[in-house]
Amino acid sequence: MERIMPKLFFALSLTALVLMLAAIWQASTPAWKKYQQEFYGMEAQGEPNAAAKSAVSTAPVTIRQVLLPGLQRVDRCGTCHLGAEDPTMKSAPSPFTFHPNLAPHLPSRFGCTICHGGQGLATDKQNAHGQVAFWQEPLLPKDYIRASCGRCHKEGDVPGVPELAEGRRLFETHGCRGCHKLNGMGGSIGPDLTEEGARRRYPQWLEHHFLEPNAVSSSSPMPNFHFTREQARALTFYMLSLTSEQMGSYYSGVRVIPSATYGRQLFVEKNCIVCHSIGGVGAKGGSDLLGVAKQHSVGWLDEQLVNPELVYPGSTMPAYDMETNARKALIAFLASATADDARSMLSGRPKALSARDAAIEAGRQSFARFGCVGCHGLELQGGVPNPNSQGGEVPSLLHASQDYTKEEVIKIIRNGKVPPLEDPKKPASPLYMPSWKNVLAEEDINRIADYLWSLQPKKETW
Amino acid sequence: MNPIRDAWQSIVRRDPLSTDKGKSELVFLNVWLHIHPAKVRKEHFKLKHTWYLGFITFFLFLILVTTGVALMFYYRPQSPQAYQDMKDLQFVVFLGPFLRNMHRWSAHGMVICVFLHMCRVFYTGSYKKPRQFNWVVGVLLFLLTLGLSFTGYLLPWDQLAFWAITVGTNIGSYAPLVGSRLRELMLGGHGVGESALLRFYVLHVAVLPSLVVLLTMVHFWRVRKDGGLSRPLWKLKPASSTPLVTIDAPANPGLAVAVVPAVKDKTYGLMEVVTGKPLFETVTEEEEEDTVFSYPFAFFREAVALLATVTTVMAVSLFWNAPLEELANPAKTPNPAKAPWYFLGLQELVSHSALLGGVVVPGLAVLALLAIPYLDSNPSRRPAERKWAIWAFTLFVVVNIVLIVIGTLFRGPGWALVPPWVHISGAE
Repeated sequence: MERIMPKLFFALSLTALVLMLAAIWQASTPAWKKYQQEFYGMEAQGEPNAAAKSAVSTAPVTIRQVLLPGLQRVDRCGTCHLGAEDPTMKSAPSPFTFHPNLAPHLPSRFGCTICHGGQGLATDKQNAHGQVAFWQEPLLPKDYIRASCGRCHKEGDVPGVPELAEGRRLFETHGCRGCHKLNGMGGSIGPDLTEEGARRRYPQWLEHHFLEPNAVSSSSPMPNFHFTREQARALTFYMLSLTSEQMGSYYSGVRVIPSATYGRQLFVEKNCIVCHSIGGVGAKGGSDLLGVAKQHSVGWLDEQLVNPELVYPGSTMPAYDMETNARKALIAFLASATADDARSMLSGRPKALSARDAAIEAGRQSFARFGCVGCHGLELQGGVPNPNSQGGEVPSLLHASQDYTKEEVIKIIRNGKVPPLEDPKKPASPLYMPSWKNVLAEEDINRIADYLWSLQPKKETW
Repeated sequence: MNPIRDAWQSIVRRDPLSTDKGKSELVFLNVWLHIHPAKVRKEHFKLKHTWYLGFITFFLFLILVTTGVALMFYYRPQSPQAYQDMKDLQFVVFLGPFLRNMHRWSAHGMVICVFLHMCRVFYTGSYKKPRQFNWVVGVLLFLLTLGLSFTGYLLPWDQLAFWAITVGTNIGSYAPLVGSRLRELMLGGHGVGESALLRFYVLHVAVLPSLVVLLTMVHFWRVRKDGGLSRPLWKLKPASSTPLVTIDAPANPGLAVAVVPAVKDKTYGLMEVVTGKPLFETVTEEEEEDTVFSYPFAFFREAVALLATVTTVMAVSLFWNAPLEELANPAKTPNPAKAPWYFLGLQELVSHSALLGGVVVPGLAVLALLAIPYLDSNPSRRPAERKWAIWAFTLFVVVNIVLIVIGTLFRGPGWALVPPWVHISGAE
C-alpha cells in the first residue's frame, strides 16, 4: 500500500495536468479563429506586394462585435462573417460572402440579429444561428427575413414588404382580436400575440397554422379562415414582426417610413380636405395646398404641422400630434399632391349619416374592431365549428332578433355566454362568448346591438 | 554567505524530512498543517471506514471558492446584465465555460458528498460521545451547503434559476404567521426580482461562505479535540470502559475544569492550569507501535484524495456543460416549475400538503438531525448493537431519495405523475 501512494499521487497529478491542458486547448481553438485565419489568407492573396500581404495575413485574430445598446443587443456575427461589408467578397464562400443592399441598415448601427434572428452573443455556429435549445430566435429562413422590417417599421407601408401591411389589415378585418390580445387589446380565448415575433419564431409552422389550424395543433379551437397562401404568408410576416422589445429612440423613431403613399393615407385619415383644397378642389376654409411644398421650406411646413399658431398667430388650424416621420410623410405627399388627388378623396368620402345610421355605423366598426367576426363569420353567417356545443357551430347573428330580445343580446355581450353542451360528458367546447363589459363601454354595446338589429329581415319593426 | 539558503531557512525552519524530528516539525511548525497530529494511527485512514467523504467535501469547497472568485470577476448581480454575463462566460471568456462547469458540478457534488458524509458518520456511530457537538456543527454545515447552493442557483438569472427560486422560496412561505414575511425578507420584495438577485448574491459570495469557513474551522478543531478522525473502534481491541474522573482547577478545588476517563496509560499537564489524565481515544502504549508520522502517510493520502476530487470535477466539466436556459421571464411559467433538485423531495411533499410538507416535516427533520447524538443513548458504536438506529436512519435516507427521484424524474406538467420515458408534446 505504501508503495502505491506515491505512484497514485504521480499518476493523478499527471491526469490533472493533462485535463488542464485539454481544457486550455479546447478554449483556445474555437472555430472562429480558423475562419479568421482563412479569411486573412484569402485577403492576402488579393494584395499586390509582399509587405501588404504580410500586413493582411498577420491581422489580429479577435472577436469582432457591434455593441447596440439601443437594441439591447451585442452582435458578434462579424467574428466569422468577415466579408459582409466588403464588395470584393461578392463571390467568396460562406461565411465570408458580401451582403448586398446593406444601406441604410449598416451593421455598425443595426447589427445583424435584429433582421436575421440568431444569437448575437454566441461565437460558435450552432449557438450563433440559434438552432439550440433555450434560444427563442433562431435564424429566420431566407424567405421570411423581410418580416423583420416590421419590428421597427410598425405602421404604414414598408417599401418592398407589402406582406406586412396586408397581414395587419387581415388581422384587423378577420376578427383575430376577438380571441387574441395584441398590445393589451383583445380577447383571451387564444394566446396573447404581443410577443409572438419574439417568442416562437418558426415561420413554416405559423404559415401552416394559418392554412390549417388543426393540422399543426390538433387541439386548437382556432377556426379555419380558408386563407389563401399569400394571405397566410402575409399573416406570418405580421406575426413575426410582433414584439414589444424596448428600442432606443433612433430605432423607435422610424416606426413609420415617411413615404408619400403613407402621407396621402394620413391626409385622408386626418380629414384635411374638410378645410383645405388642392388646386381649387376641396373646401375653402383653409389655404389651397397645391405647390405649398415649393413655396415653403420643409422646416417651415413641419413647424406649421406641429404648432400652427406659432407660424400664423390666430390660425384656426388645430395642432396635430403626429410623430416626426408622419409629418415628413404628409409633407412628401403635399409635394406631389394634385387636384386629382383631392377629387378622388372627395368621391371616396362617405355621405353624411343620420344620427341613427351613425350609431349603426359605429356599432359596425366596433363589431369589426373587437374581432366579433373571427367567430361569427365575416358575413355574420356563423358556421365556425365549435365541437360539443349545441349545433356544433358558433351561431349566426343574422337572425338574432328572432330568437332574442335586444335586452337579452346586450346582456350576452356584456356578461359573455358559455354555449350549452351537446354532450355533458365530453370536454367543454373550446369557443365561448367572452364577457365584454370591461372592454366595451355600455354605449358601444348598445350600438353593436343596434347594428345587429339593422341587419335583420326588414319585416321586423324595432 | 548564501542568500538563497538564508531565504529558504528563514521560511522553512524545520530539520530535514529524513529525520523524525523534521517530520514532526513539518507538522507543528507549519500553520497550514498543524491541524494534523505529528503522528497518526493507520486505522484513521482506512478507506472503507471514512471513504474520505469529509476531505472530499472540503476539497470541493476549495474548488468552489477558487472558481467562484474567478467567476466573480465576470459577473454583475443585476438584471438583465447577469444573464448576459453568463452568455459572455459561455462564448468569449477564456476558459469561461470550464470555470462555470467546474463551479456548477462541484456545487452539486458538495451537496451530495456532505450528505453522504453525514450518512457515513451516522452508520459508523461517530456522532457518539465525545463527538456529539461536532455532529451538530456538521448538520449546520450541511444546511449552509444547501443555502449556498440555493443562493447560487439564482445567479445565472435564466428561466431555470428564476423559477427554481420562485418555487423554492414559496415552499418556505407556507410557515404559519412568519412564512410570507420571511420570504419577503429573503427576496427583498414579493417576488423574485432584482433585489432578490442582489440579496442572493451577497449571501452567496460573502455571508454564507464566511459562515462555512468559520464552522469548518470549528468542525476540524473538534475532530482533533474529540479524538482525531473516526476509526472502526469496534473492529479493534475492545475498548475497556474507563471510569471518568473530574479534574478540578488547582487554584480552586471544587471548580470542575474537565471530565476525563481515568486511564492509566498517560498523564498530561495543561500548562500549569490543570493536571490529569488525557482526553478520549488517546494513544495507549500498546497502540503506540501502530502510529506513523503524518508525513508522508497522512499527507499523501490527503493529497491523493484532493487530486482525485479535482481530476473528477475537471473531467466532468470538460464533457458536460452547466445548463443555461432563456433569460428569466416572470411572465412565462414553465410547467412544471421545479425547485432545485435537492428541494424536490420537499416540493413533492408540498404538493400533498403545504403546511405539513413545507414546514412541519422539514422542520422536524432538521430538529431530529440536530438532536440525534443526544437522543441516541446507546453507547455502542458496533452496528450489530444499534440495529434500530440504523434502520430508522436508513428509512430517512431512502424516503428522501425516493421523494427526490419522484420529484425530479416522475413529475410532468401540472405536477402529474409522468414517467421520464414518456414524452409529453406541447409541454413548454
